[in-house]
Amino acid sequence: MISKLIFKDHKYNLLTILIICFFAIALIIFLGSRTNEEVQNIVQEQFNEQQLLLARQSTDGIEEFLNQKTIIIEILANEISDKPPDEIVDSFINVYNKTNDIHVIEFINESGIVTLGYPEENSPLGYDLYEKNDEWVFEKTRDNKETYISNPIFLLEGGMGVFIWTPIYEGDEFKGIVLVIIKISDISDRFLKNCKSQHEVYMIDKRGTILYDSSNRYRWGRNYLEKLGNESPRLQQILHQQMNGSEGTGYYLDMNGSEKRLIAYSPIYWRNQLWSVAVTSQVSEVDTLIKSIYVKHSMFIGVSGIFLLLGSFSIILLLTRWNKSLELEVASKTSEITESNELLKRANKKLMELDKLKSDFVSMVSHELKTPLTPMKTSAEFLLQNDPDVNVRREMLELIVRNIDRQTRMVNDMLDISRIESGNMRFRKDMLDIGEIINSAIETIKKQSEEKKINITTDIPTDLLKINADKDKLIQVFINLLSNALKFTPNGGNVEIKANESEKYIEVYVKDDGIGISPDKIDKIFNKFYQIDNTSTRSYGGSGLGLVITKSIMKGHGGTIRVESTLGEGSVFILTFLK
Amino acid sequence: MNFDDIEKEIIKIIEKDPEMPPERIAVLLQINVEKVKQTIDTISDTREKIMIVDDELDSLLPLKRALEAENYQVIEASSGMEAIEKTRSDHPDIILLDLMMPGMDGFEVCNVLKADSLTQHIPIIMLTAKGEIDDKIEGIETGADDYVTKPFDLGELKARIKMILRRTGV
Repeated sequence: MISKLIFKDHKYNLLTILIICFFAIALIIFLGSRTNEEVQNIVQEQFNEQQLLLARQSTDGIEEFLNQKTIIIEILANEISDKPPDEIVDSFINVYNKTNDIHVIEFINESGIVTLGYPEENSPLGYDLYEKNDEWVFEKTRDNKETYISNPIFLLEGGMGVFIWTPIYEGDEFKGIVLVIIKISDISDRFLKNCKSQHEVYMIDKRGTILYDSSNRYRWGRNYLEKLGNESPRLQQILHQQMNGSEGTGYYLDMNGSEKRLIAYSPIYWRNQLWSVAVTSQVSEVDTLIKSIYVKHSMFIGVSGIFLLLGSFSIILLLTRWNKSLELEVASKTSEITESNELLKRANKKLMELDKLKSDFVSMVSHELKTPLTPMKTSAEFLLQNDPDVNVRREMLELIVRNIDRQTRMVNDMLDISRIESGNMRFRKDMLDIGEIINSAIETIKKQSEEKKINITTDIPTDLLKINADKDKLIQVFINLLSNALKFTPNGGNVEIKANESEKYIEVYVKDDGIGISPDKIDKIFNKFYQIDNTSTRSYGGSGLGLVITKSIMKGHGGTIRVESTLGEGSVFILTFLK
Repeated sequence: MNFDDIEKEIIKIIEKDPEMPPERIAVLLQINVEKVKQTIDTISDTREKIMIVDDELDSLLPLKRALEAENYQVIEASSGMEAIEKTRSDHPDIILLDLMMPGMDGFEVCNVLKADSLTQHIPIIMLTAKGEIDDKIEGIETGADDYVTKPFDLGELKARIKMILRRTGV
């Protein structure tokens, strides 16, 4: 199945892998961007939530702190209702020391005069509220019989403070008021200054009065709304919501309009007071955070993409190498097949050549065997059918005998070839004089040489070493060579036989000045079934087996035969005998 | 002067003077006496003339003797070129042509003779040791009148010769 999907051309495979790789990267980028949007929203929400929690944490702390102080003061007021002044001061000292962040505790008697206070340096002892026309809060607290907290105001000793007025009753008898002042700066120092540096915090009361501003942009005690004037309407809306006791988050542009800020605000409900704490931060911080996430995300995408690319390229590399190794293997196998095909073709061609040679040989042998039969048969039939005179009869009989000899030689050649092929050629070796052998052969072909007027000369050293050889076979060798020389040398030509002796060899040269052998045929003359001219126009008869038989006889004597020839100039057959 | 011209001149002289001796004719024509005698013999020989073409003299000789015994005049040629020359000069009535010969083989000789208007009418019997059908077809296609495989039966060959001569009206 997979193999069907794989292109045969590996370039398409590489392209497919690259396309898949780029699709994968595009998908990662798409999913990454979608994820980034979601992450951005989530981070935004989380950041808002976190900022709101921060504001809420501050307000909860302040609220708890102030309510706790109020309850303590109310308990104190209840405890000192029947105590003499010295014990009241002791109680004040006790409360002051055990609770932090109380600026001063004062006792105002039923006439509105500060009579006791701790610490004394912060206490305006003898201060008469009626005399200073500050009695309305005193009277309101007395009449309502419950704690009243006045709006934060500037203190004589500096800073802003909030006044907690708690009435003291012994039964229904009004004894006075415990006044506790808490400095706003103490509250802000405890709960608001520890905010992170990238945040800005401010606190206002229900009138919009700035109680604290970490940016120090506005002085405390000023009205925030008044300070804003017509600037930053969105912030004005938010301030109104704060003054109404709402909780929430929002955005606004700062007064310059250049920076968008996130604001989270939470109210502080403290008896009759309503304050609000707001925590602001630059939206760019969120963007920075998101960008940081983007960067990390992008890095993740990038790394994923790089891994994908690397993976893809690794696969491509592997596939390429695989393909190359496959191609090499295929090329190698193809080369082997081509080579074996070539070998087979050559073998087949050689077999066909051999087959043709064999056919030609059979045809030639058939012709050569038939050729002497024709005169024999014709002569015999002529003698049978006629009664010629003695001379003609003798002529016919001689012709018959001559052709019988010819056919016998042919048959003997065939038998020799058969013996050579079957390895049954036997040699009866004696120590022989080469000169005598050569002379015997020359004597045998003497009549032929005389007919063609070919001069045969010999140059055989008389002291030539004798060789161990089969006499008849060796004579046959020289007869074959001399017959060939006579056959291929024109009338009146020359044939020369000479011998020499070296340290290891005896060499005999049979040289003629006949037609010679062409270079392309010289290597084939010792091949079986090969005759240079096997066409119907061939000038020279014979089975073509003479040289094959000669070579085999030489081989049987441990010798060799070779030929050197120039076309048109003649040939030299060189016989080498081992000493 | 070629053979045909010599033959014509001798015929003209003999027509004028039937008793003129060969020596006198030779003087008149300025040629060899033997040539004159040979030409007169040829002109006066009315026997059917057979030319045997074979490079194997041993094959040619018994056939020549056998055909001479049948009272044929026999001309010999031992090569293709010689066969063509003698055909043109001696005008044989039939040619027994061996196929395998040095130089020009029997097929080529047959082609040459059949292409020549002077010799194309002369029947040719191919004689060869090659007995394959293809060889026979090639021989017949080149214009040979018959194809006899060696070694042949002498009586059969003589019968074929007679038949062809009778057919050609010699």
